[in-house]
Amino acid sequence: MRALLTGNEAVARGAYEAGVKLASGYPGAPSTEVMESISSYKEVYSEWSTNEKVALEVAIGASFAGYRSFAVMKTVGLNVASDALMFAAGSQINGGLVIVVSDDVGRSSGDDYNDCRFYGQNAAVPILEPSDSQEAKDFMKLAFEISEEFSTPVILRLTSVTCKTKSLVEVDESYVYQQVENHKYDFSFQRTMITTMMTGIKNPTSPKLAKYYNNFTGTMRKLEDESNQLDINKLELDSKEIGVITAGVAYSYVKEALPEASVLKLGMINPLPRKLIKEIASYVKTLYVIEEGQNVLERNIKNIGVNVIGEELFPRFPEMIRLTPDIIEEKIIPGITKNKPREDVPFRLPMNCAGCSHLFVYHVLKKHKIKASIDITCGIIGAFPHVDAFRNAKCMGSAIGVAHGYNVLTKNPEQYVAVIGDGGFWNTGISGLINLVYNSGNSTVIIMDNSCVAMTGGQCCPSSGFGINYKPENNIEISDICKAVGIKDVAVIDPYNVDELEDVILKAVKSEGNSVVVVKKECITAFKPKRTGKCQVKQDSCSKCKLCLKIGCLAIERKVNAEGDEVKINGDICMGCKLCTNVCKRGAIEYVQE
Amino acid sequence: MCKNEGKNLIICGVGGQGIVLFGKILGQFLINKGYELKISDVVGLGQRGGNVECHFRYSNKPIMSPLIKVGEADYIISFEQTETLRNAHYLKDDGLIITSTFEMSSPTVNVEIEKDMEGNKTEIIKELGRNTFIIDVAKYSDTDINISQMANVIMLGFYSSFMGYDDSEMIEVMRKTINPKFIDSNIKAYELGKQICNEQKVAVVK
Repeated sequence: MRALLTGNEAVARGAYEAGVKLASGYPGAPSTEVMESISSYKEVYSEWSTNEKVALEVAIGASFAGYRSFAVMKTVGLNVASDALMFAAGSQINGGLVIVVSDDVGRSSGDDYNDCRFYGQNAAVPILEPSDSQEAKDFMKLAFEISEEFSTPVILRLTSVTCKTKSLVEVDESYVYQQVENHKYDFSFQRTMITTMMTGIKNPTSPKLAKYYNNFTGTMRKLEDESNQLDINKLELDSKEIGVITAGVAYSYVKEALPEASVLKLGMINPLPRKLIKEIASYVKTLYVIEEGQNVLERNIKNIGVNVIGEELFPRFPEMIRLTPDIIEEKIIPGITKNKPREDVPFRLPMNCAGCSHLFVYHVLKKHKIKASIDITCGIIGAFPHVDAFRNAKCMGSAIGVAHGYNVLTKNPEQYVAVIGDGGFWNTGISGLINLVYNSGNSTVIIMDNSCVAMTGGQCCPSSGFGINYKPENNIEISDICKAVGIKDVAVIDPYNVDELEDVILKAVKSEGNSVVVVKKECITAFKPKRTGKCQVKQDSCSKCKLCLKIGCLAIERKVNAEGDEVKINGDICMGCKLCTNVCKRGAIEYVQE
Repeated sequence: MCKNEGKNLIICGVGGQGIVLFGKILGQFLINKGYELKISDVVGLGQRGGNVECHFRYSNKPIMSPLIKVGEADYIISFEQTETLRNAHYLKDDGLIITSTFEMSSPTVNVEIEKDMEGNKTEIIKELGRNTFIIDVAKYSDTDINISQMANVIMLGFYSSFMGYDDSEMIEVMRKTINPKFIDSNIKAYELGKQICNEQKVAVVK
């Protein structure tokens, strides 16, 4: 049967058909759906772990127990998990171990600086890259086989378009799940221990040493040799003029834009098939490398002494946000012209949903000119210029550490506040909080508890009260954790009580020592509460001061018509949270019960 | 089974308008007809209110790129008129626009860090000089259908009627895709879309 699957769903199906026993991960666009999909297969144990590093460690443990296992994360998450990867690489592998990593290519928010292939290279592990959903499924199965045969973790690299594109996939309906086990080693040691033993002790005689020996460099050389015969590295010789080495979805763009070109399509991008690369190089007059993300393939191909055209023709950010078939045509086909997008269409910056608790905290911070750091949460939208509530925005979980560093040294009397989401708090922020107590800091931390990891679509976290492996007795209250690690001043507040929220935050900021305010309100989008009314603008009272537009609420719009500006509230989107009625100084916004 | 060779559609709008569902229902309908398909949801920056583009390609031959090339879209089906204009360069010379008059102002325009386009967007769309169907969904707000929530299915009804698709086959796909709790209201919205199409047999700009 052929089923219409996204790349993400196809990866999950491939893992299932490979007899995988464990899947662990952390949410992150564009590959969140892999976990959501695999967790629907009841035979497979799956979990959202507290962070990416833990997720990978869990998969490493399950693999060592002999079961095929995989971890899934975006490349920004692999930044967190990279230590776990570095030490799993080169160690003895039992059950196939695959790390599914997605590069969010084409996101102008800056994810393009992260390219997971650097990690694969650094760790010296194989990287496979599918170009569509069918390959996503097939490559996932192959990844487990390579992992076991060559005793190495394998990275499956996905990019946004591969993750998010639906195409038809052959699904074997008669497949009956069968877990696959592989148990070769009783020991698995990190690579540095192995190299210490192998290089330090020249004349091993003790049988005690044998368990440390693992010729991982030899294994990778063997794989490199075999990569020239691997089915997924395909040489399609055609035109003698133009040749392209490509991988992933870029392959489909090349076939669309340059149907006559000779193509070397790499299914495995690390290690590289040297013979095939040299073959296409000697066959064509001009050889290009076309790849999504940074110019990783290009550099590696140049390193083996093959001259290719890449970056010089395809400069990256800011000239190119994402690769498209149009860019390939424009750069390579002489004389081609393309329609250009209009320059006068306004850009859409991201917005918090109407009624979002973050809007209330932005309001208090701005009203009292409180300086604050934010990190990766829906609250980072508040750092964009249309809201303008934060001075500092950095990586997930960072807000507490950043505020502490600022407060420890600054001579200013004002206290710099950390704002962090519940997702970020559990991911890595909790370490920052412990550090605050441990080093006798003096900071205020506002934790936005919306009962889920909201930005990626409302996945569970340790305090969310639901989840794949949820038991009520194991739910952890954030305020309990804060008190347990030694924060004495902990308040929990419903942000919809705006005045009280203001008082609580101001009191915390002014207090001596560390303090935490837990702002507790369920995510509007994930929990879909019923509204009891909505807000509307009384046009004759409105002075058009536009203060309400600065709240950053999606429902409040400025409409320009013949008479000039008009501020309107979209009644379909408004949640009736009443923040705007509080902000409006002229009482021109009213709440209407439904 | 495959009556024509296939088409390239850009389906666009803003987050929360149900564009992904539109693509899903239409996709399944066309799979049943035996077509090859690639549907790529390209979501812009961030949360609600961000622009959403779906590159939807179906063909009776294998499809390579999931992204439609500039100037190669047969139709733009748009749920928001700023997005119609953002994507207009994708349209073929003889391509066709089906657009809602719904408009959600951009946050950058709201706080005046960016200027809005000059003039009425519906008029700007007409001035593109393409075959254009303009759907003023708000005109039907006195019906018992929640226009803002159902805009996607209303557009589906319009498109289906425009293409001459078999209603019973489409509704069958809807039944398999949409939560049974909401299926009746969705079928109503689909019927409204058909009705609008019948009222507006001729494109605004020819």
